[in-house]
Amino acid sequence: MNEATIEVTGLRKRYGPTLALDGVSFTAPPGKVTGFIGPNGAGKSTTIRVILGLDEPDEGRAWVGGHAYQALNHPLRHVGALVDAAAVQPSRTARNHLLWLARSQRLDAGRVDSVLGQVGLTAAARRKAGGFSLGMRQRLGIAAALLGDPPVVILDEPFNGMDPEGIVWMRALLRTLATEGRAVLVSSHLMSELQGIADHIVAIGRGKILADAAIEELLTGEQVLLQTPAPAEAAQVLQRAGGATTVLDDSTLGISALSARQVVEALGRSGVAFAEVSTRRATLEDVYFQLTNEETEFRTGTAVRR
Amino acid sequence: MIAALRAEWTKTRTAGGGAWLLAGAVAVTVALSAGIAAATHVSAHSGQEDPTKVALGGIYLGQAVVAVFAVLTISEEYGTGMIRVSLAAVPRRLVLLAAKAATTTALALAAGVLAVTGCLLVGRLMLPGAGLDPAHGYPLISLGDGPTLRAAIGSVCYLVLIGLLALGVATVVRDTAPAIAVVMGVLYLPPLLAQAFADPLRRHIEQIAPMTAGLAVQATATAHSEPIGPWAGLGVLTAWAATSLLLAALLLRRRDA
Repeated sequence: MNEATIEVTGLRKRYGPTLALDGVSFTAPPGKVTGFIGPNGAGKSTTIRVILGLDEPDEGRAWVGGHAYQALNHPLRHVGALVDAAAVQPSRTARNHLLWLARSQRLDAGRVDSVLGQVGLTAAARRKAGGFSLGMRQRLGIAAALLGDPPVVILDEPFNGMDPEGIVWMRALLRTLATEGRAVLVSSHLMSELQGIADHIVAIGRGKILADAAIEELLTGEQVLLQTPAPAEAAQVLQRAGGATTVLDDSTLGISALSARQVVEALGRSGVAFAEVSTRRATLEDVYFQLTNEETEFRTGTAVRR
Repeated sequence: MIAALRAEWTKTRTAGGGAWLLAGAVAVTVALSAGIAAATHVSAHSGQEDPTKVALGGIYLGQAVVAVFAVLTISEEYGTGMIRVSLAAVPRRLVLLAAKAATTTALALAAGVLAVTGCLLVGRLMLPGAGLDPAHGYPLISLGDGPTLRAAIGSVCYLVLIGLLALGVATVVRDTAPAIAVVMGVLYLPPLLAQAFADPLRRHIEQIAPMTAGLAVQATATAHSEPIGPWAGLGVLTAWAATSLLLAALLLRRRDA
């Protein structure tokens, strides 16, 4: 297997009464930014902790470049990860934080200065990390992840607390890392952050994988936007006609899996009033809501049957 | 393992607090010994005194600071969440624990040597003023004296073992304040409790409690009045430290980080 691959198969993990992971499987391929998306509490961080050998799954395995994480010698040279940007000792300087990490991987101090430069923290290198803003801590965490020049990079919510300039920087960095051939796994609960940079999407909800596909496959569909005074009735009609609907606001529905013409015909047959029909390209957000909606419908469906 | 050791050493060196705590341990120990020496007055009617043991009295308090230092080496990482970074860098958990134990040992050893040397110097200089002088049948404290040398080496070992005991407890408890409370309780409560009982129960408590058993190694002239022999006592403390580290190793391996 390529060094730069994350492969996760059948992860199941229970914390007390909650099933945090319910059969999670996916692959993050080399040279791609894989967006790991899902609402808070969906199981993103748990999955990442399992990949890093921090949490033990009840079932299933996680492989990095074909190896279990615990079996890696100098693991940070294989996998760089940002798990929690707040996880630094406040009294230690940024440079010293990276220095002990470098020592643990038999890397020389030159790497420390080089990654500090890469994340733009050279000027703050000798300041105590306790005084850093969340955005600066994120940069320090990224520096730690890049320290061992690893073929696999895993970043858990790296956009949190970043200012707009930081977000632009982060997006460019993610692209660069993927272009260099690395497997980049980035989690986020905000789809917009990953729009335009993720090549591959793994969507997770309630511990289950909802989608694992290239972005082009997910973003194929055009979405039909419908303005109607009766969105509930319209949704019913359109779902019967085979469409998937999302309520966007009081009077707007997003419809996929039906063309604009099919929407107009279906509504005409049923005599549901509408004001306007338009189309737009699906965004990552649409796809995501569609995926999570299907999940919700499935759940409410079973509840009703009982 | 070497890499993990260097990482742990770099952590301790760069955290700021650690060096101060150890310097504090030395200062507190020597200061308390000096205080005890200044407060000691021996008359002709006093019973047999043990100048070496009196001089090493500061360890009683200094051990608490060493214990706090050892607790913080891991509890602070749990407090900040940095333990996950540490375990991602060193995924073999026992290697991480061993590296922390080695660093704790080395630093407690260094602090112990300084503190014990300071205590014995203070004793040698001050105790003759308290009536513990050759004229009253008490030779000056000297490492050339076999039992005194044993007490000195034993006291250094004692501090190291207290550090390891505290490290194990902190790894099990994972939270600074409760870990310090547990360590202090284990050290200082049994001797107090023992006072509530008559012999032989009192003696048995003192034989198995880490502090009373461990500090028996300090006795030179009064060894017969100790609850347990010097090396046997240190052995009891070693068993405590080993049990604590064993439990720590088991839990560190089994638990999610």
